Amino acid sequence: MIPLSHFMFVSAALFCIGLFAILAKRNAIMMLIGIEFMLNAAILNFVAFSKHDKLASGGQVFALFAIVLAAAAVAVALAIILNVYKYYRTIDPTRIDQLRD
Amino acid sequence: METFIQGNLSLLAVVAALLPLLTFLGILIPSKSSRGASLAIFNIAVSFLISAILFFKIWNAEPIQHEINWFTIGQTTFKAGILLNNLSVLMLLLVSAIALLVHIYSIKYMEGDAFLYRYWAYLGLFCFSMLSLVITDNLLLLYMFWELVGFSSYLLIGFWFTKESAALAAKKAFIMNRLGDLGFLTGIMIVFTQFKTLNISELFNEGGLVLSAVIQNGLWLNGTNQMPSIWLTIAGLAFFFGAIAKSAQFPLHTWLPDAMEGPTSVSSLIHAATMVAAGVFLLGRIYPLFDATVLMVIASIGAFTALMAATIALTQNDIKRILAFSTISQLGFMMIAMGVGAYSASIFHLATHAFFKCLLFLAAGSVIHEMAHVKAKSGLDFDHQDIQNMGGLRKIMPVTFITMALASLALSGIPFTSGFLSKDAILIQAFEWSDGQSIWAKLIPYAAFLTSGLTSFYIARLLFKVFFGSFRLQNLSKNIQLHEAPNAMKYVLMVLAVFCLFIPFSQNPFDYNSAWIFKEITGLEPAHEVQSNYHLFIPVTVSILTFVLIYLAYTWYGKRLAGPDFSKNPLFRFAQKQWYFNELYTRLFVNGTTGLSAISFKFDRLVVDGLVNLLGKIGVLFAATSGWFDSYVIDGLVNGIASFAKTIGNFARHLQTGRLQHYLLTMVLVVLTFFVIKLFFPGI
Amino acid sequence: MSLLSLLIFLPLVAGLLILILPSAWQQRYKYISLAAVGIQIIIAAFIYLNFDGNTFSGIDVQAKYQLVERVPWINLNLGRLGYLQIDYFLGIDGLSMPFLVLTSIVMLIAVISSWEIKTNLKGYFALLMLLNTAVLGVFCALDFFLFYIFYELMLLPLYFLIGMWGGVRREYAAIKFFLYTLFGSVFMLLVIIGLYFSVTDPVTGNHTFNMLYMMNPANYVQGSLFSTIANQQLFGMSARLVGFIVLFIAFAIKVPIIPLHTWLPDAHVEAPTPVSIILAGILLKIGGYGTLRICVSIFPDAAVQSAWWLGLIGVVSIIYGALNALAQKDLKRLIAYSSVSHMGFVLLGIASVTAEGISGAMLQMISHGFLSTMLFFLVGVIYNRVHSREIHDFRGLALLMPKYTAFVMIAFFASLGLPGFSAFIAEAFSLIGAFTSESVNGLLPRWMAIAGSVGILLGAAYLLWTLQRMFFGETRLMGGEDWRLKLTDINGREAFALASLTVFALLLGIFPSLAFGKMNASVLELIRLVNLK
Repeated sequence: MIPLSHFMFVSAALFCIGLFAILAKRNAIMMLIGIEFMLNAAILNFVAFSKHDKLASGGQVFALFAIVLAAAAVAVALAIILNVYKYYRTIDPTRIDQLRD
Repeated sequence: METFIQGNLSLLAVVAALLPLLTFLGILIPSKSSRGASLAIFNIAVSFLISAILFFKIWNAEPIQHEINWFTIGQTTFKAGILLNNLSVLMLLLVSAIALLVHIYSIKYMEGDAFLYRYWAYLGLFCFSMLSLVITDNLLLLYMFWELVGFSSYLLIGFWFTKESAALAAKKAFIMNRLGDLGFLTGIMIVFTQFKTLNISELFNEGGLVLSAVIQNGLWLNGTNQMPSIWLTIAGLAFFFGAIAKSAQFPLHTWLPDAMEGPTSVSSLIHAATMVAAGVFLLGRIYPLFDATVLMVIASIGAFTALMAATIALTQNDIKRILAFSTISQLGFMMIAMGVGAYSASIFHLATHAFFKCLLFLAAGSVIHEMAHVKAKSGLDFDHQDIQNMGGLRKIMPVTFITMALASLALSGIPFTSGFLSKDAILIQAFEWSDGQSIWAKLIPYAAFLTSGLTSFYIARLLFKVFFGSFRLQNLSKNIQLHEAPNAMKYVLMVLAVFCLFIPFSQNPFDYNSAWIFKEITGLEPAHEVQSNYHLFIPVTVSILTFVLIYLAYTWYGKRLAGPDFSKNPLFRFAQKQWYFNELYTRLFVNGTTGLSAISFKFDRLVVDGLVNLLGKIGVLFAATSGWFDSYVIDGLVNGIASFAKTIGNFARHLQTGRLQHYLLTMVLVVLTFFVIKLFFPGI
Repeated sequence: MSLLSLLIFLPLVAGLLILILPSAWQQRYKYISLAAVGIQIIIAAFIYLNFDGNTFSGIDVQAKYQLVERVPWINLNLGRLGYLQIDYFLGIDGLSMPFLVLTSIVMLIAVISSWEIKTNLKGYFALLMLLNTAVLGVFCALDFFLFYIFYELMLLPLYFLIGMWGGVRREYAAIKFFLYTLFGSVFMLLVIIGLYFSVTDPVTGNHTFNMLYMMNPANYVQGSLFSTIANQQLFGMSARLVGFIVLFIAFAIKVPIIPLHTWLPDAHVEAPTPVSIILAGILLKIGGYGTLRICVSIFPDAAVQSAWWLGLIGVVSIIYGALNALAQKDLKRLIAYSSVSHMGFVLLGIASVTAEGISGAMLQMISHGFLSTMLFFLVGVIYNRVHSREIHDFRGLALLMPKYTAFVMIAFFASLGLPGFSAFIAEAFSLIGAFTSESVNGLLPRWMAIAGSVGILLGAAYLLWTLQRMFFGETRLMGGEDWRLKLTDINGREAFALASLTVFALLLGIFPSLAFGKMNASVLELIRLVNLK
């Protein structure tokens, strides 16, 4: 039987990798991937904790729900990135600075 | 006519005084005057006539005083007026007579001078001032005319103003007289403060204010007015100081020898007969003011001056300078007389001296006139006033010689001359006075006695050197022609010579008490009739001494036997250099004053003005500082706050990069920090 | 319009006329000025002849003034502060009338000597006329505010006259003069305001600038700053003494006294001749007049307290001025310093508070007005010819310019106090007054008079020395033959000016009652006022 803490460690690692990707990458897609990592870390936690809810399996339902939402969000984000690329010819967010003073 | 004259005597006196002023104005105002001489002589002649009338009307009659309101200051009304008493009419006659003679003399003497009209004008101004001086009844007016005679004397000394020495001498005379005037003015201030009037008869008559003022407890009281009694002495000394300057007494005597730069006729009128006697006249006018101390000072100064000037006269070679020092010396005699209380003797000597000294000068002028001609004709360059260049003139100029010899005899005080009478009067009274005085006071008559001897010696030396022997320039040039003086000059000398004899003054040639001037000009105390043996003793010794000295002078200078050479003798040099008074005064006072003025001007420039400029500079500096402060500190503060805000803003702006990642990082860091704090400090 | 206003504003009208006229007429400006001054002299003469010096003594009673004009001028209701009341108040008495005559005559001479001015005539004559108005106004004003306005108004034209038409260092001199005078008058303003708040008009009860009311202790508000009874303190001194000193310094700068005199030599030397004439002839007198009219009359108690110091300043000025004159090489500067010396007598006379002293001081001011005018005019004559006034540059001028030398001698001897000229009587009575003071009122010690008389001696020294150096001896000129040709004797215009001044100086010297007769009552009244305290 795998103890719960192992899931937690994997989830935390995933979250940190995602966070790092968001903070350090200069590519919007990579940052998006980072966001997905962090979402999946959360989903992993949901699934892991659903062990304690054997009757309704609320955690797993919530995980499925989140995956659907994440897929939709990624679609929207990719669309934005594509538009940004079309407009700026780059997807490096640091160079998209026309709102700067 | 007679009644008109009698009723208008004071008016006549005014006319007599004003006529010469008319000369002055009449010549100078139209400024083209060829008629100078006639106008001047006519005016002075009329003045003389009027003076003579006045003299005979008023001499020994009731004095006349007449005055009009002049101006009012405060409660005091100052009056202008004339006072005709024995003293003033005597002086009036004396001055106008001598002035008339000098005027006549000047026609020839000054002939051909380029600025002749000015000469007549100045003489007119002088006569006006001098005549007014003797008749005025008021100290303020007296002071005014006193200064005016000084002024006309300035003009006449500097008559040949292109000559540097004349201009200098004129200036010196005026300034030294000015110094004396300060004394006069101080005296006036004291008298006015004490008595609130300057009227001479109110002040100095018998029973006048001065005599009725008393000294009590060291205070000089006149009614309600009072002053410390020292001011009485100061007043006397102050007036005397004025007289010292005018009469060229020690220590203000040095101007008179220099004044000989003027024409000789001027010297004879102003610097021998009249103006210099004004000092003695002043003392006569205010005689009651003097207390014992002042009289002692007057006598001592007189004695010292008489002796000193006589010693200097012994050593001089300039004919006019010898006479100038002789004048100083004789004025000293008059001062002695005033000091010892021989008031009438002093005035008597003033009158006799006026004539014989005037004559001496005019005769000397006649010699100088000839010598100047010689100088001009022969083309030689020599000092035409130096007696060493003269000699033997006795035969060429007999009238000049005889008249001058008479005047010299009068000056030496030989019996039968006028000088004998007046000089004896002074000597005898001086000796009488010194009986019962201190040792110091006894020196005074002896000094006078000694002076009398020296006088006869120096005048004999002059006479013998000029008129005896042979003419010394004859060897230098053959074509020297000498003449007797022109007639106008000659007659004047002759008229004056009459007044050197005893006849016009007294019937008895040996007794001064019978001289009419002596009898009628009296001080407040009647002349004391002390019959002492001095009356015999003095005239005899003086006469013997005089004859001996004249003989000595004759052997040394007349016969041209080798006289002793004194030029190495330090005493002789001391006297010849006029006791070094000129040098002393130049060093002490002239250089002192100019030095002081230079210092004071430096002070003014550097300190006073420097301070002002410094203040100005400080002002500018302060303005600059405040300008700097304003632009850098005050404005700087305002700008500083703004730029500080800007810096902060800039700093803050750098945080706002607009990059999501930075914000996110910050967020993460903050959360992390939060966690870290929670983890390690769970208590917070 | 009455006589005094006419007298005061006539020059102003002439000045405006000059400003209006086109510049093409500039050669006629001087004739317009001359006409204005001529009429002014006629009016002044008329005033003089009709002046009653005995019944109308003036000083502190309006009824005793003559030709009084009193019109309300500025009336402002200041609410709680009361009612601001300034009158246009003119009037003359024995102290001011002589100065009207003096001003008219000096102005005439100044206009005559303005013939030599060649540049910017329009501005010059307009300013000269403005100055004329201001000066006359000062002598007539009896309202302190009005007085102050005229007093300050003088500064402006003078500043420009010196600064624009002056010599080489004219800017320096003008600024120095301006600052000096302003320094005095600014503080004067403070005292004026203090007096205003201390004094009320006894009729209306308002505060007032009326000088006459200021002379009466009863008009002072109880407990006010300058009230006699309250005896307030300022800086550890009696407030009245402080007020007196401040006013005195303001006027003393004008007089001028040692050590506030250094503007004078510079201003005189740099100013053009006519302005020097006005400065010496009139401006200095405003100092003396102000001291009498304002300092002594309004603060008699303080005047008595400080008489000793005033006398000392007078004596020091006399001697110090004379010593400095002796050291001068520039003729104009010499005369400037001699002014300092002569004005010292004025101060000495005033300080004595005796009839003789104050009369002497008054006459000295008038006499110095004529004589310094003459002296500066004379300096102007040679300066215009050869542009030098160094004493050493000339020698033996008497041969070259006999008439000129005659006038120089007259002017020199008159100012060294030769009897017959006005300065003699004036100086003698200033000194006599100072001397009697100890017996009469105990204000001045006797030595001051004697020390002051040394100034007479020094006066003779520096003037005669100059005379001897410049005029006597053989002719020798710095500029050689060129100068000999340029140094022509005086012309008719100059002779007229000089001769008329000589006549005035002589008249006053021989008949001093011409002046004393008109002022005696006022002088006595002033002394009475001071003795009341």
